[in-house]
Amino acid sequence: MPGTILENLSGRKLSILVGILLICQIACFLIGGFVAPSPAGSQSILTTVCYDDQPDLFNKNDDNRWFTPKCKSINLQDKHSGLNATNFVFMGKMPLYNMDFSRWHQNLVGVLQVEMEHKKEITTTNVIDLTLDVKLGYRNKEDPDDKWTYHSSSVEKRIVECSSPNKDGYSYSCSTVQLFELGSLHHDYYLLNFRIPVDDKGTNANLGFISDIYLIIIHMNVGFTKVWLSLKTVLFPVLIAIMVWFWNRVHLLQRTPVLLEYLLMIVGGTLAILDAPIEFLTLYFDIPFMLLLGDIRQGVFYAALLSFWIIFAGEHMLIQDGVHKNSLKAYWMHLSGILVGCLSLLIFDLCERGVHLHNPFYSIWVTPIGTNLALSFIILAGISAGIYFIFLCYMIWMAYRNISIKRSVLPTMSTARRLHYEGIIYRFNFLMLVTVVCAAVTIVSFILSQIAEGQNKWDENVELEVSSALFTGVYGMWNIYTFAMLILYAPSHKQWPTDSLCGDNGEEVEFSRLPTDPSPNEISSLTTFAGKASID
Amino acid sequence: MKITVVTVVVLLMGCISLEYVDTRSKGRGKGSMWWGIAKAGEPNNLSPLSPGVLYMDSSVHGTLRKKQRRLARENPGVLVAVAKGANQAIHECQYQFRNRRWNCSTRNFLRGKNLFGKIVDRGCRETAFIYAITSAAVTHAVARACSEGAIETCNCDYSHHKSRPRVSGNSAVAGVRDWEWGGCSDNIRFGFKFSREFVDTGERNRNLREKMNLHNNEAGRMHVQSQMRQECKCHGMSGSCTVKTCWMRLPPFRVIGDNLKDRFDGASRVMVSNVGNAHSNNAHNNKYNKSNNINSNSIHNRREGKGRKQKYGFQLKPYNPEHKAPGSKDLVYYEPSPGFCDRNPKLGIQGTHGRQCNDTSIGVDGCDLLCCGRGYRTQVVDVVERCNCTFHWCCEVKCDVCRTKKTVHTCL
Repeated sequence: MPGTILENLSGRKLSILVGILLICQIACFLIGGFVAPSPAGSQSILTTVCYDDQPDLFNKNDDNRWFTPKCKSINLQDKHSGLNATNFVFMGKMPLYNMDFSRWHQNLVGVLQVEMEHKKEITTTNVIDLTLDVKLGYRNKEDPDDKWTYHSSSVEKRIVECSSPNKDGYSYSCSTVQLFELGSLHHDYYLLNFRIPVDDKGTNANLGFISDIYLIIIHMNVGFTKVWLSLKTVLFPVLIAIMVWFWNRVHLLQRTPVLLEYLLMIVGGTLAILDAPIEFLTLYFDIPFMLLLGDIRQGVFYAALLSFWIIFAGEHMLIQDGVHKNSLKAYWMHLSGILVGCLSLLIFDLCERGVHLHNPFYSIWVTPIGTNLALSFIILAGISAGIYFIFLCYMIWMAYRNISIKRSVLPTMSTARRLHYEGIIYRFNFLMLVTVVCAAVTIVSFILSQIAEGQNKWDENVELEVSSALFTGVYGMWNIYTFAMLILYAPSHKQWPTDSLCGDNGEEVEFSRLPTDPSPNEISSLTTFAGKASID
Repeated sequence: MKITVVTVVVLLMGCISLEYVDTRSKGRGKGSMWWGIAKAGEPNNLSPLSPGVLYMDSSVHGTLRKKQRRLARENPGVLVAVAKGANQAIHECQYQFRNRRWNCSTRNFLRGKNLFGKIVDRGCRETAFIYAITSAAVTHAVARACSEGAIETCNCDYSHHKSRPRVSGNSAVAGVRDWEWGGCSDNIRFGFKFSREFVDTGERNRNLREKMNLHNNEAGRMHVQSQMRQECKCHGMSGSCTVKTCWMRLPPFRVIGDNLKDRFDGASRVMVSNVGNAHSNNAHNNKYNKSNNINSNSIHNRREGKGRKQKYGFQLKPYNPEHKAPGSKDLVYYEPSPGFCDRNPKLGIQGTHGRQCNDTSIGVDGCDLLCCGRGYRTQVVDVVERCNCTFHWCCEVKCDVCRTKKTVHTCL
């Protein structure tokens, strides 16, 4: 039985392959750094306070009554006798100036920033329950100027945390709160109208003197979306080609594919789902669930990758009971951690972004039950991640222990066998190293992007967009990692002499096969070797 | 009717040209005329809905220099913001100096020259503060107006394109293109740039007074910029921080006033040094430019490169050679302040007669210092005050009425 390409590739060919992949990797970083703008942009919009002379009509969604930039504006600093809270409507038109949204902007997050002034005679608490009566409308370029169409509306509560300056005329510093999230940005202009209702039941009772309310909108940048989608469009067919090639290789053999091969296909398949540039559809159709779908696609890929690692380590650890070897059932315990973690994250996501499909203003964090629910799902996911990590470490440790046991007997082996084993160990280590490096790069780039966001530019002179570079770089890295796994773990086509240690065609054979393969189902000779170890 | 209006305008223009001669002879720098916009807009023709109205107003027109008029024409809506800013500056100045001998009193004269009185003819600390706070206020107000969407030319100059020269004509097109590609930059950039172009117009860095004005104007802007606070929002996968976007939050103007007041107390006195050391201070210049990272952007790149560097890249020498050279956020002056105790019509100083003071304070608001040793009169008055208030959004403050007896001290 032939082994995998990894073991049969000469050092030169391997280095060429690694070189090519590294170049692709660097290209991914550079594209993000020098071509793409930062992933997301923002605009802070100072909401205009409009005077509503017929407050009773505000909540009737069927009539197209909107407060636009043409409304009669009120200055909050003036005295307003005779008016009450329902007369005040805050208005924000998105985007500002004479810009318009493009569908490439993908999605929109709205954040509220309330500026309150401390007045000597007004006492407020530091945690404010802000209740808002919101509605959102949209307009397209071809629509008449004042024709706004109803999108959604809701009465929402937000918790704003403020710290008091304790000085008259100074401002509170208040936390920002998310107001809405739109999964698709299908229309050209959006219009937000909201009121701060007051009633006898204590709604908005502990509000201070509001001087300004800013609406900050965050959208993906067109340039970044274009670069991102181009990257996906390039990677997707390459991945599909490699997968087809891999599967053909497996089927050329006269045996059923083994577990690791199935798993590699699953990892490749989930990555293909992630890579498929279905975002192009948003340019033509209104797909509000794209944000949720994107989360699920990413989640599924990560779940597949994590499962692959644990099974990869497990297959090389070799618990010798041949009955449920090479079946997923053997790993149910290890995989259940991943399953529970991913499911709880999925439920959390459905509770937040799923509900956003229905009501973009919804937030799970405002009610105590919602907060507890969300927190428990996140904690559950965290615990599963911890359990998974412990399992993974344990299995890798076991695999390395087996290898080191075998290594101690290496000197007693014949030269050919020793070279063979040393090569396999070296390449197994190499791949483990690659995995660790990839994981480390991901974590480091995450930390870097957190820091980099603090300073907008890495250096004033170098126009490098760090966060985009890290984004495309890490994304490219996991693609290239998967490519490498698919290529290096594909079965080798080289036919080995079955009965001699060193064949006559020694030139081609870098590592000869063991004369007696214990089982025809082994994927690599490392497992063979490890199997030997356990038999020994 | 038409004829009379024209005559008025002509007369006004005549006045301005006279003013020019007048101010030049005193060497106070010419960048202060626009302050008049604070009063020119009164009472209520600053309608934000029709920004053109203010521009057409001849009294406003008169206070502006040619370049400022061009800026106002090219950036519709900006004059309303500048006027708001000027009023904000006056208000803040008076708040900060409410307890000082000089209390930043303004006079309701039509044009800016005498808005703060003739004190601005002297290169003293008070003048330094006035220049800094007005410049800061314009930066602040313009940045704020950008957020309101009141100024359409607040450009979304995406930084990758900053090396590309932008011709004034197609800046709107370029702005849309930038927005399309990489989103908008923070409004403070526009505010900063605009303030430089607008406020610094008359100052050419030729003599010490102009250098002082330029430095203090820049210091005011730097204070606004450095007080910008960053806010971030995570919106990545499942709302995690894999994608994080940050923006700058405009500080309340009170904070800037406080900081400038601190710098006023620690202002550095500078002296006439060899003019033309602009070239010899490249190191400083570079550092200076880096620290504010806005250097290369003019409003529409009218003036770029050398001229700009020479305008801002100078270093003032401290009067006392043992002191440190003033930093970019420090206020500078070169003449001692006049006494503010007595009325001085020549300098437009009101004096502290009749001001209220605090007899328990040992600071400048204490009766000893504020009344300049002239003594004070003490009265007990009944004060009706609002107390125990509860506030209901939006417009209702329910208060009890408290009557207290208060002792009021007034300077003789």
